Amino acid sequence: MNRNYLVLIIIAVGLAIGILIMDREKQVKQLDPATLAIAYNEPSRFLTIDDVTHRLITKDPSLVLIDVRPAEQFKTFAIPGSINIPLDSLLTPSAVQLFSARDLDKVMYSNAAVWSDQAWLLLKRLDMPKVFVMDGGVNNWFASIVQAVEPLPTAPREEFDLYSLHIAANQHFYGKKVADQPIEKPVQKVSKPVPVIRQAPEESTGGGC
Amino acid sequence: MTAPLIPLEQIPEAWNNVIALMLGMGFGFVLESSGFSSSRKIMGTFFGYDFVVLKVFFTAGITAMTGIIYLDYLGVMDASMLYINPYYVYAAIIGGLIMGAGFALGGFCPGTSFTGVAIGKIDALVFTIGLFAGIFLFSEAYGLFEGIFNGHFMGTSKIYELIGMKESVFAALLIIVAVAMFFVATWVEKKVDKVNY
Repeated sequence: MNRNYLVLIIIAVGLAIGILIMDREKQVKQLDPATLAIAYNEPSRFLTIDDVTHRLITKDPSLVLIDVRPAEQFKTFAIPGSINIPLDSLLTPSAVQLFSARDLDKVMYSNAAVWSDQAWLLLKRLDMPKVFVMDGGVNNWFASIVQAVEPLPTAPREEFDLYSLHIAANQHFYGKKVADQPIEKPVQKVSKPVPVIRQAPEESTGGGC
Repeated sequence: MTAPLIPLEQIPEAWNNVIALMLGMGFGFVLESSGFSSSRKIMGTFFGYDFVVLKVFFTAGITAMTGIIYLDYLGVMDASMLYINPYYVYAAIIGGLIMGAGFALGGFCPGTSFTGVAIGKIDALVFTIGLFAGIFLFSEAYGLFEGIFNGHFMGTSKIYELIGMKESVFAALLIIVAVAMFFVATWVEKKVDKVNY
């Protein structure tokens, strides 16, 4: 027999034995239900609108804001600076690549928090790092940023601080003017001219030394 | 970089046809240079004087299989993304019988008939005309065959899943069978009278 054939046969049989030895049973890496339940009940998976807004304004590079609503809704209205990954394309290779990034905070939002919560659960189950849900979603964004309502005068100081953040965000994203606020004019003291009473110069006695 | 390159968007999908064209030309070149454009060589498989066709296709099969298994194991490729031909049982059996009969009668399979045409063989040309006539007839009469064509669909099954075997065991057995088949074929070739062509 040709020696070349013998070498080829030995290689083929060697590869066959290799296939028998290797363990190719693939297991999808995912969290077990108990760990998932703990993560689900952790309130830190929610980020507030104000936190997200602040990071958007300061252009935080570690923040990726993701709209998980369908594309038509994203086109109609979306939070500025967000990208659209609809729920049905959440596990496409490019999306998975984005979600697996360890140094990015992936914050998802939908109209309320139902779709974003579903997306969170799915991604968390696949053990994606740093995924968050924006609390309240677009509805909350619209109510607090786009249509910011001035708190009552009796409201605590924190509410006023938040209100000014919302107004600032509104200006930042939509360039609108601050709602007409009665600007307190500095009190100008209207003083009556004090009559100067001049004494009539005494009449000189004339002469002198 | 992880293969498969196009489904995983490593290469834009627009390159699909370009790569297919280059692979096709390479395939045709190898077929022709291995003598597959001769219907006599192909007929050798049926008469037992030349088993090159069997050997080449079996080698191609086990090489591709071994390559996919090892590359997937090493993480260079994601075998779960590969396209698997859907399995229609009736179409596969009836189509296989017709194809085999045509193979034995004409001395070509579709690919080799084109390599024959490329070097100007008249029998290959006739075979190719028959091939297109068959495609035309089938397309025109598709309504008649539709039930058979789509009959007994079994999804993208794999052989080892259907017979309930582990993938690794099946692959290793297939390699052993291929090696054994090479010996048997060579032995038969020696027994049968040599045909000069």
